[in-house]
Amino acid sequence: MRLLRYTIYRLVQSIPVLIGITLITFILANLAPGDPVQLMLHGQEVDEDLVRTVEERYGLDQPLHERYLNYMAGLVQGDFGHSIHRDRPVRDLMLDRIGPTLLLVLSAYVFAIVTSIPLGILAAKRRNEPADHISRIVALFGVSTPSFWIGIMLIVIFSVTLGVLPSSGLVYPWRTPADTSFFGYLAHFYDVLRHLLLPMIALGTLQMATLMRVERTQMINSLQGEYVKLARAYGVPERRVLRKHAFKPAQLPIITIIGLNLSTALGGAVLIEYVFNINGMGRLLIEAIQELDYQLIMGITIVIGFIFVIGVIITDISYAYIDPRVTYGEEE
Amino acid sequence: MSIESQSEVGDGSGGGTENQYGWRYTISKVLEDTTARWGLYVVCVVLFISAYTAIDSNLSVITFGRVSDFTFAEALPLLEDPERIPPPGETDGNQPPVFHADGSITHPLGTDPDGRDYLSRIVYGAQVSVSVGIFSTLIGLLGGTIIGAVAGYYGGIVDDILMRSVEIVYAIPPLVLIIVFTVLISGGSPDIQFAIVGVGIAFIPVFARIIRSEVLSVREMDYIEAARASGVKDYNIILRHIIPNSFAPVMVYATLQIGVTILIVAGLSFLGYGAQPPTPDWGEMLRVSHGHMLSNIWLSIWPGLAILITIMGFNLLGDGIQDALDPQIDD
Repeated sequence: MRLLRYTIYRLVQSIPVLIGITLITFILANLAPGDPVQLMLHGQEVDEDLVRTVEERYGLDQPLHERYLNYMAGLVQGDFGHSIHRDRPVRDLMLDRIGPTLLLVLSAYVFAIVTSIPLGILAAKRRNEPADHISRIVALFGVSTPSFWIGIMLIVIFSVTLGVLPSSGLVYPWRTPADTSFFGYLAHFYDVLRHLLLPMIALGTLQMATLMRVERTQMINSLQGEYVKLARAYGVPERRVLRKHAFKPAQLPIITIIGLNLSTALGGAVLIEYVFNINGMGRLLIEAIQELDYQLIMGITIVIGFIFVIGVIITDISYAYIDPRVTYGEEE
Repeated sequence: MSIESQSEVGDGSGGGTENQYGWRYTISKVLEDTTARWGLYVVCVVLFISAYTAIDSNLSVITFGRVSDFTFAEALPLLEDPERIPPPGETDGNQPPVFHADGSITHPLGTDPDGRDYLSRIVYGAQVSVSVGIFSTLIGLLGGTIIGAVAGYYGGIVDDILMRSVEIVYAIPPLVLIIVFTVLISGGSPDIQFAIVGVGIAFIPVFARIIRSEVLSVREMDYIEAARASGVKDYNIILRHIIPNSFAPVMVYATLQIGVTILIVAGLSFLGYGAQPPTPDWGEMLRVSHGHMLSNIWLSIWPGLAILITIMGFNLLGDGIQDALDPQIDD
């Protein structure tokens, strides 16, 4: 009941932000110089009437605020408009591409979480010992290296020099393999992992570095907590203190950071998709920009913004689920 | 969390002389920290290089159109004009670096596919990165300070409207927002100045948030009350009392932010929406060398290392300042 109320509260609270995202994107797209119809014509001379017909067809003859309201009306029904350049609904174009991006971002997170939490705990436990210094250096490199450059270097090492991992594309786990036997699926799964490994590491390194530093600080604070002192005084073994008493309270800030970092991860996905030739939303955005396809640019920006907002809401809710002290924000 | 504790340091000092002491104390604490000192060295070297190359490339302008006989590049004979593409036959393209069997000392890092000296391009590339980092951070700082201070000082509906609209900008991932902004504002022909403005605007929200939370505590101080009672105008209160007293934590953030902006603009240039050829820029160089990855891998390594070292310098320095200002972290 408490969680349900909190969920509804967060969803309602996010509506103005979601509307704001569409507004900003719409203004940006319409601020851009260049008339869409002229862009379509590639500078050819045509009949005035034809231009007017096309403008009417896409609603370009209406004033800006009416166009925005029309766009919003479509958006509510899941209609992102029509890509003039590709002559396909924007929604269909995005549906084709959203899977790889989500797969990439989620796997990068899995990589980041699986590596950062043990390393962060180790650094906290062995504070100011060599293990701690090494983890600090790794974190420093992680936050200072451009993700796309890590990607390029990984390709050079593992694809070009060693030739053990593919350098481009993804194999999608949701596609049925040609061989539908058990071993066929196993081989398919192996193929998925092989293709995912390098882009996952390239995108996940920054997340790993930031999470590791937060985990370390949190664990250090947690290990100095009264409850840990009490547990130690009772003679609870040190391993158990670490795993049972110190670990859980330290994880709460991590959840928030994960949600907020989704912003950098989604942005980074654009670069990683470009480096690894992955047909995701990021590449679609770059293609749309090259084609100056405003409808498509708008659609992608809005969807990426929405994914981020929803991601933050999900992390907030899981935070509230884990920490019963979280209120509905009414005291704020 | 840490910001609040920094504010205690910042406005606890109160008077002008004590504040000065505070800054001096901070600087000496930063210099005590070995890693922060190294960060400072790196930042100083990068700043020096970019100032040097900026003066060098503008020298002919300074001497009123006369082609000057002396350039700094002559004083440092290894450097060449980073933008001039040598005519065919003069220099080979794609030369390996000096420690390679086919390398030569005239081009210590080799040459790019057009035959330009790569060391010169890397060195001149510092200019672009540093100006991007500093100018876009300044734009974010200025916009964020104004919005955050006004929102925090007036509160109520002004606060709500300003902070909500700022949060909306924050909700679009920066890189995506910056790409879209840069390309659309420039009408499809992006360049570095659009990128700088785009990055600056995208980072207004974070600065606004930090300033606002500081202002909320400064606003309650007695001296603000005193200023208001003696009839000082609102904008004077904000400009002379509120902003100077809530600035310290933002400065820490700004130092760290310079690294982030350099990182983002490198990505932007890598995609082709930042600096345009023939400008020597690390991100742009990585974009070009991406196509020559198989024939000459060194071209992809040097600019990446340059970005890595620069950002690391800013990060170490920023961390050092943060530690010096925040006594709670005792590492």
